Parts: sequence; C-alpha cells; structure tokens
Amino acid sequence: MYSLFDPTSDVKTPFLFFTGKGGVGKTSAASATAVALADQGKKVLLVSTDPASNLQDVFEVDLTSEPKEVPGVNGLFACNIDPEEAARAYRKKTVGPYRGKLPDSVVAQMEEQLSGACTVEIAAFDEFSQLLADQYIVQQYDYVLFDTAPTGHTLRLLSLPTAWSGYLEESTHGASCLGPLSGLGEKKEMYGKAVAALSDAHKTTLMLVARPETSSLLEANRASLELKEIGIKNQMLILNGVFQTETNDQVAQAFYQRQQKGLQETPVELKQLETTYLPYISYSLTGVDHLRWFMNGELYLEDEASHRVEPILLDPFSQVIDDFSQKNTRVIFAMGKGGVGKTSVASAIAVGLCEKGHKVHLTTTDPAAHLDYVFKGDTAKENLTISSINPEKEVEKYKQSVIEKAGKDLDEDGLEYLKEDLESPCTEEIAIFQAFAEVVDQSDNEMVVIDTAPTGHTLLLLDSTEAYHKEMSRSTGEIPESVRKLLPRLRDPKETSVVIVTLAEATPVLEAERLQKDLKRAEIEPSWWVINQSLFATGTTDPILSGRAFSERVWINKVKRELSANTALIPWMEEEKVGYDTIKEYV
Amino acid sequence: MKKVEIFDPAMCCATGVCGPSVDPDLTRLASTVYSLEQKNVDITRYNLANDPAAFSDNEKVNKVLHEKGPDALPITLLGDEVVKVGSYPSNDEFAEWLDMRAEELTQKPRVRVSVKLD
Repeated sequence: MYSLFDPTSDVKTPFLFFTGKGGVGKTSAASATAVALADQGKKVLLVSTDPASNLQDVFEVDLTSEPKEVPGVNGLFACNIDPEEAARAYRKKTVGPYRGKLPDSVVAQMEEQLSGACTVEIAAFDEFSQLLADQYIVQQYDYVLFDTAPTGHTLRLLSLPTAWSGYLEESTHGASCLGPLSGLGEKKEMYGKAVAALSDAHKTTLMLVARPETSSLLEANRASLELKEIGIKNQMLILNGVFQTETNDQVAQAFYQRQQKGLQETPVELKQLETTYLPYISYSLTGVDHLRWFMNGELYLEDEASHRVEPILLDPFSQVIDDFSQKNTRVIFAMGKGGVGKTSVASAIAVGLCEKGHKVHLTTTDPAAHLDYVFKGDTAKENLTISSINPEKEVEKYKQSVIEKAGKDLDEDGLEYLKEDLESPCTEEIAIFQAFAEVVDQSDNEMVVIDTAPTGHTLLLLDSTEAYHKEMSRSTGEIPESVRKLLPRLRDPKETSVVIVTLAEATPVLEAERLQKDLKRAEIEPSWWVINQSLFATGTTDPILSGRAFSERVWINKVKRELSANTALIPWMEEEKVGYDTIKEYV
Repeated sequence: MKKVEIFDPAMCCATGVCGPSVDPDLTRLASTVYSLEQKNVDITRYNLANDPAAFSDNEKVNKVLHEKGPDALPITLLGDEVVKVGSYPSNDEFAEWLDMRAEELTQKPRVRVSVKLD
C-alpha cells in the first residue's frame, strides 16, 4: 500500500533531517539516501550530529568534523560532529593559552566548569548552525543530509535555535548561562539563519524514520507533533524494515503479522504524512555496496539465504533476576541506545523482582519512554510502584523552589534577573538530576529499577552527576541530602548494578560497547549484558529472517567473548509485551 | 568614584542558579551589582570560565592566585587595590567604599509603567 522510498523522486529540498528513536535505522536510511543521490551525480554532504554516531561504521572510514570524501562514492562527503568532541576542542581553545600563566589549580577549575552539559550542547549547536547558515556550504552542495541523534536529543537540538533566539532577544543585561560561548550576540545572525532554514519548507524536509511497530510509530508521532509545534512542518515518514515473506515459517508469519498489526494502528496524525517504506533485509548495512543493494530492493544475499541456524542459549533472562534478587541490589539501571527495548527489559526486571517478593520502584528519565503503554490497563501489583521523571514538570518545580528560596529578599529587578538565569538550558539538567537523586534515595526501602534515557542523554546525566559532586565541595548553597548521597552509591557495585541492553546487530553492539567504555571511565562497571529480541534464539527458517539470525551470531559472540562476563539472551517474541502478566513471560 | 572589579570563580552564570544549588549570597551580589550599574558606578565582574584573560593579565589578581590558589576567589579590587579575598563584599562594604548608604543598594522596586507608543 506504500511505495518504496526513492530518493530521486522523494527528496525535494536541499536540507534533509533524519530523525527517529535510536535503532530505527535512520543512519542507514540517511546513508543509503546520500549514496543514491550522489550516484545520480549530485554533490552531497552527510552530517552526523549524534554524540554516539555510527556513521563511521556504516562507511568504514574515520570521520571528523571536517567534511571528507567517502571512498567509492563520487560526490559524497561526510562529517561527524560529536558534541563532546566539539566541547573538548572548545575547552582546549579556551583554556590552553592560560596554562603556565595562571596557576594549575586555577586552570583545573576552569576546565571543570567547561566540562558541564551546557558546554557540550553549546559547542554542538554552534557547529550545527554554522553548517546550516553557511552560504558557502549551501552553494557547494546540492544536498545536505543530517543524520541526527536519538529523538530526545534531536528534539533538544532542534528546539534550541528557537529557545536561544528567544533568550537572546529577551536578554536585557548580559547575564547569561551561555557564558561559555562568549560573543554570543555576534552569532545571533547566524543562529537566526539556522532557525529560518529549519522551518522553511522549501529548504528543509524532516524525514521521520520509524519501524513498522506500534511503539516506534507512537514515538514518531510524538516527535512529529512536537516538531510541527516548533515550526518544522515539512515532514515525511519512512517506514524502515517492512517485512515480506513467502514462507510458512512460524516465526516469519508472526513477525509479518506483528508488523501489519502495528501498521494498522498507525496514529491518525501520522497517516496524513507522505509515507514511503524501505524493506526488511537479511544483511547488515555496513559498506557502500550494501547500501546500494538496499536501495535497489535486494532482500537478501544468495549465499546467506541457505544458512540453517541452530538455536543456542546463553543464560536465560531469569538468571539476571535471580542474581539481583540474591544480591539484593538496591539500584538497577537498564542502559542502552533507544529502541533496543530497555523499557521492556527494565519493566521485566522490576516485575521479576516483585514476583520474588521484593518491593520495587520502577522509574524512567527517558522523555520518550512509553512505560504507561507497557503497563496499560493494569492495576499495579502490590509490591510495584511506577513513576516517571517528566523533564518539563521537574524544571517548573525546580524554578519555583529557587524563586521561593533565593527570591524573597530581592527587589523587582533582582527577581527579574534571577528568573532570566533560570530560563537557561542548564536549569533543566540540574532539575532532572535532583528528581533522579530523589528517586534513588527511596531505595533505602525499595529496589529501584531505572529505565534511563537514550545514551547521549544518559551520559550527560552521569557526567553532570560527577561535576555536581566536584562542585559541591566549593559551593556554599544548600545541597539536598539525596543528591549528596547519590554518586558514591552509583559507584558501589553492592548497591548499584548496570544492565546493558542491546540487540545482536552491528550498530547496537558497537554503540553499547562505547557506552560501557564511558561508564567505566566514570568508574561504573556494568554487571550484565542482555541481548534482546534475538532472532537467532528462535530457530526461524525464513530466508530473510535466518539471514538476519545468522548475522546475529558474530555479534552475540562478540558480546559474550569480549564485552561481558554475564550475558543473557531474550528471544524475539510474537507479541509486544503489554501489561504486567505478559511481561512475566520474559522471566 | 573608584572603579570596582570582582573576579569570580569559574561559574556557569552570575546568579549561581545554574550551579548545583542556589547560593543566596550570589543572588544578593548579582542584584547589588545591578543596582550599582544603574547608579553609573564603574563596576565589572569577570568570570574565570569565560574571561580568563582578565585574571591572567591583572598582575595583582594573578599574584594572589599564585599564592593562594583558586580558593582565593572571589577577589575584589577597588581602584586597582585588592580589598577582599575569598568571599564577596557585603552591601555595607560596598556602601563604605563608594560613599553611599547601604539602603541605596537594596532599594525596593520602583513601579514600572510600560507605555506603548503606537
């Protein structure tokens, strides 16, 4: 009923933004589109602004923030804007000249302050809008494609121009949290151009990428509405991975049915968008050849289709529950890139622990989480409480408490000044962090299972945890008790466990590997890896699915041998897990 | 009137609300500095995080930093002399230095009327 996505006819604007929750394949879609356009003789720039980009893995080439020609594709250039890298570069530029001039301890303080979340965001945004507003770039390339970060991050990134332009206009006296970007005023024009380009339907198309699954479509709808509100109205939907089968294989039939059911439940607003699809294929999308086959509609590679896959088992998921139950772990994080099913895994852990008689609190900091959906229609069982940290509400609450505490002795101008600083982007980080600390504080009485936000966000959160603790030693303000207690608890393996959730595919595993590295740098050691939605564990014989299952093997082995001491496998399930009793099936 | 310079530690913003917790003294100071600016007092704040040149170029500040390290911040200079180290001046101190009454620095709001000229 939908037509195959064809870049030649479907791409109508010079700027394309691919957005969608991590794991929906937006990097693949963006990369394949870029290759297809370049193969038409166009000059194309593909930009990744994802802090956990896998563009390098797709093209098998090292990328930096400078556009670089992709080998094997004439006219295709790619660059990778890692906001954390950009922040590092900014720090170096700012701090470097004062080494030796100012005492080392003073330089260290500067560096610390410039390591905060705002610096990362500001640095990323700066690079991002330079590209958008740069006439030279615009004229040099026929198309500029942005492979953006997971949804939560994307939304923030995209909503920043408006927020900050507003902030600049309203600013009456140079007080500003945008301090790290001094000379912001001079850049106002550039930011203005970036905002204008984003909301100009002749210039920019937002390509929403979704899997043909209910939760993915709900998420795309949410993003679509939110971005429309920000003024980005020229949107298209790509359904990525639409599965067709000609076999009677039980798993294949169930797989097909589940997708069709998901598609039927497409939210009504989303149905109004121009929609195309890309097929579900047996092979992984790494390397230029694979991208070309994908755009040609090749469903599987002949030599892989014949592989029979025997099911193998790692630890069953119940081992994870038993382990936490025995150790009486107080705080459990399910971490991983969005779309790998960490919401389901966190829910399953919480349910499993309840079944074993523990009191459990399940919470989420993921703005895109759908916990309500997973628990739809159930009255929570006695041992289980559920909450979510809603960023907007927390920010509002935090602002109110600050104004109450610090604003009472201020006159009208002073109060205005204070309110203005509270409008800054860092306020959100602080507010969410406090809410998060409060939840963890409850684990004196309950086990807390946290379904964290997508990777980049999660890391920022943990990063700010650390910065928070360093800063406390010199701050004279009042620190909530819950916050003071948090970081040492996060680092104590007797108290806290991290479960890394991934899929047995290239991108999710490489991504999870990077996540683990970053956690280790913060002295946090993940205790389990859970490989979710494994086709390998199902024993399917469908040619496309078994091709996929076969290619899972290498990733399962990599996790088991190189990355984790404890690995559990969850087979692909016929039904999306909805409600308490179905979640129990995992356990 | 003598000029006042305040050298802040590395901070995200001048009121301190972006920090891990709100320091009421910082909000008080931000408000005082703002009132002084309104009275045309030559008063400047430098934040180590975004204006390190001011710290490095000012010999007196640089000297204090080398002797005492970053804990010496904030440092206040009155007409090029170091007058306060390690904490912010009180409103009474500002008043004394600038020959004002402390009450002038905590004036209650003027009523603002916005007039639209169409």
